[in-house]
Amino acid sequence: MPRLKVRIRRKLRKKREPRLIEVYERRFIEALKELRIPLLMLHFSLTVGTLGYMILSGGDFINSFYMTIITIGTIGYGEIAPGSDTPVGRVFTSFLALMGIGTFMTSVTVIVRVFFKEDIINLYRAIRMLREIENLKDHFIICGYDKTSAWLAQTLKKRGIEFVVIESKPEAMKYLQEHNIKYFLIEAPYKRPVLLSAGIKNAKGMVVNLGDDAQNIAVIATARLLRPSKEEFYIYSFASTDGTAQKLEELGANRAIVPNKILATRIAAYIFHTGSAFISDLFDRIAFGEETDIDILEIKVEPGSPLIGKKLKEVDLRKNLKVTVVAIRKPEGDLEVTVTGETAVEEGDTLIIFGQPKNLRKAQKVLLEGVS
Amino acid sequence: MRYKKIITDFFILMALTTNISFIVSPNPYELVITVAANLAATILKIGEGRVLSTEMLASSLVADLHLIPALFIYFIGDQVEAVGLAQGALAANVISVVISIIETVLSAFTEEEE
Repeated sequence: MPRLKVRIRRKLRKKREPRLIEVYERRFIEALKELRIPLLMLHFSLTVGTLGYMILSGGDFINSFYMTIITIGTIGYGEIAPGSDTPVGRVFTSFLALMGIGTFMTSVTVIVRVFFKEDIINLYRAIRMLREIENLKDHFIICGYDKTSAWLAQTLKKRGIEFVVIESKPEAMKYLQEHNIKYFLIEAPYKRPVLLSAGIKNAKGMVVNLGDDAQNIAVIATARLLRPSKEEFYIYSFASTDGTAQKLEELGANRAIVPNKILATRIAAYIFHTGSAFISDLFDRIAFGEETDIDILEIKVEPGSPLIGKKLKEVDLRKNLKVTVVAIRKPEGDLEVTVTGETAVEEGDTLIIFGQPKNLRKAQKVLLEGVS
Repeated sequence: MRYKKIITDFFILMALTTNISFIVSPNPYELVITVAANLAATILKIGEGRVLSTEMLASSLVADLHLIPALFIYFIGDQVEAVGLAQGALAANVISVVISIIETVLSAFTEEEE
């Protein structure tokens, strides 16, 4: 017996960290608990009324139940149940009406109020959303929802990339709904169950923008514990200074960005190229996904690739796949921009390819499949 | 003493006992009381329980879905069919009582842990 006790305890202890969906489902059930008292009151009135009329009518259930309903529902079609037109029946009907009408009205009001209460509707929506998130794959998680995240969400939406927003402030719900964000969680993003519920195990990456370096660190640390590989799960974080950015990258972020610095660099680029604003801006727009007709792609030439040793004119990507190799990044980091048909592809090179997104996707598939 | 638990358990047992008494001696009053006790048990089970709450509610709903048709069938005139449905409800009620006992034992363990 003590052994069994220990085993049961162990089993129960294992269940200590519930999934977010379970917590929400429990909260939903808890909210439904409010229905118990009005339902019991209604049930009690119906039972007393039906049994009372059954005794008066000698066991006629159907008419007794109907009589109770029309009495407490204030419909009052008449004395339908046999025996209800006797003095005893009328005394009973009077007491039932006194007790039942109030009970009926109160119960119906409370039941309707519970069902239309914001909490229950939001909980139901959240549970449905969590179920849908469970089926997501290769999506992104955006932690923190401010104006920058809103722009990011819009860009991802345009590109058809699925994402889940996690924001701890309940006030953000209004904006998330206004911006038609499909998946969002109003929870603290540094919690393990929250990240798991956002589908971190199947996600491709995460953007951490909580407006506070300490909070960003907490989220990155938790995320990296769940997805340790930097090659399989990308974390992009916001940082307030260069120093913090470096620390965040050391802690697990693939890239930590200082927004003010990026903004200043971009404005400086406009200042430096005032005469040729369109061209100087073009690369930026492509890289930032603002030029939807053209995109840029990097393809690394892995060992064993059939591309190794071939000249670009032999591969003829321009004709075969309608994409152009504009530059080659050498393994040592140099960028070769004067590529011609005679340029030979070497192991470790990274081809920088320009083209329409659909052609690029095709090229990526063809070139990567060639490796295997 | 947990009064809520006493009331819930009272109705769960009451549902079982009245169900048995209706099967043993079919009688209209007995059937109405059985249905009333079952419905009360179902309402009380909403949100009740910590470990097996869903199972508890499901078993009770099964019993209700047997007894409510049984009630109408009985008063339409087919008493044999009504008793048959009540026997189905009895199985669900027995399971309900068993789950309630397991739930109590498991809750005792978790409480001890905390």
